[in-house]
Amino acid sequence: MSIRAVTRLELRRLLVRPMAWALAALAIAWLAWTYVLSLGNFLNVQVKLAALADAPGFTDLVSVPLLAELIKLAFLVVPLLTMSLLAGERRAGTLPLLASTGIAPWKLIVGKYLAVLAWLAVWLIATLAMPLVLAGSTSPDWGKLAAATLGTALTLATLAAIGIACSAATGYPAIAAALALIVTLLLWTVDRGAQAAGVSGGFLEWLTMSTHLQNLLRGLVTSPDLIWFALAIALPLILAARRLSADRERH
Amino acid sequence: MTATSLLNISGVSRQRAGRAAVSDLSLILNRGQVLGLLGVNGAGKSTTLAMLAGALRPDRGSILLDGQDFVASPELARQTIGWLPEAAPLWPELSVDEHLMGFATLRGMTRRDARRATDAIVERLQLGELRRRLAGVLSQGQRQRLGLACALVHDPALLILDEPANALDPVQVGELRKLVRERAAAGCGVILSTHVLGEVTAVCDRVAILHEGRLRHDAALRDDADGHILESTFFAIATGASAA
Repeated sequence: MSIRAVTRLELRRLLVRPMAWALAALAIAWLAWTYVLSLGNFLNVQVKLAALADAPGFTDLVSVPLLAELIKLAFLVVPLLTMSLLAGERRAGTLPLLASTGIAPWKLIVGKYLAVLAWLAVWLIATLAMPLVLAGSTSPDWGKLAAATLGTALTLATLAAIGIACSAATGYPAIAAALALIVTLLLWTVDRGAQAAGVSGGFLEWLTMSTHLQNLLRGLVTSPDLIWFALAIALPLILAARRLSADRERH
Repeated sequence: MTATSLLNISGVSRQRAGRAAVSDLSLILNRGQVLGLLGVNGAGKSTTLAMLAGALRPDRGSILLDGQDFVASPELARQTIGWLPEAAPLWPELSVDEHLMGFATLRGMTRRDARRATDAIVERLQLGELRRRLAGVLSQGQRQRLGLACALVHDPALLILDEPANALDPVQVGELRKLVRERAAAGCGVILSTHVLGEVTAVCDRVAILHEGRLRHDAALRDDADGHILESTFFAIATGASAA
């Protein structure tokens, strides 16, 4: 009940924030433009593809790249969306007021997280709607599309969890956004050094987000990848809840 | 007395920014009682209230709320405590109505009960004309009234008010006093922190004076209607002339 109350309140606040709408509008406009370009390219190469035995189809050339583009945008947009969730509350003095309602810190974090997820789900659905409107006239690879959608959803959920943890760590929304962006980029590229040295398959490769996302975008759903995402979502949320609990001790 | 008291604070201490903000504080508040909390700036009033509201955990000591350990179970605050912090922090992008509905549901009410409670408190605090207005465009006095409404919307047994008369005009101050007495008559315990001595004599049954984090005075006000004794006691403590 209290988680639902927090989620409802946070969703309401997201809905009336110009920032959330501006980010959504810009992101969807950019994705629509990318979609039109990909679709044009796909139509241009269709004759050539028809001659190939195992040619990539609409899903490989239009739908999955569109989801990959959404993820790229999310690197920047999600930290901006989450930066004020707790840092803004702390700055405005409303965080102690929320604490005084007797809601456990983890419920507060989960409630806010679910609100961000609901907002991101709308983005994902709006993005998916673009290739899906042509589903009748193309032959989508439904399995691959479902796996890529799952990968995109899990990546968005991970970015949101990291954003909330960074927002819980500071009283300055701008610092929270910068911190979330840095953490996300680190998680994305942490194995670059190992790759450059010709080392592969080690811990750093496992730690890297792109390793697990690429499998899902290729249509491959495996337990280790799902476990990685589960950990990458749970850990920041636990840290955020611990940080809020510590607020009662420290301030 | 302890068994029936609404709030029983015993030996509570709290460090803030490396110094003792509150030291070894012990107090009892019964139902229907209005306690005035006085002290100069930095005396530890706001820290005390934040601990009583569940926003801060004491370093030492115990707080019993209706006989239950509030330090170990801060969730007890949910339905029992209403808190108006100093400067009434609000969400500028939400309307008066959304604040009240939000706080009522955060306090565990169903949507239907929250709607009913919101309507009642809006009528009681005469916020009807402001219902749809965003908190960000309210005047300081209107923000204060909204903060008070948020603290009262779930009909708490303990009401904690930190400088509630800030930015209120004389008519609203009179309304506030009436409201506090009304709540006390209904069995609610009220703690009112203020810098205004007249506020305490007008509305409180008891007064506690904090100085440098310590409780220096705790007495009933019944024999001090004009506030002379309180005034001399307060100034004696605040200026260090009292060894109490």
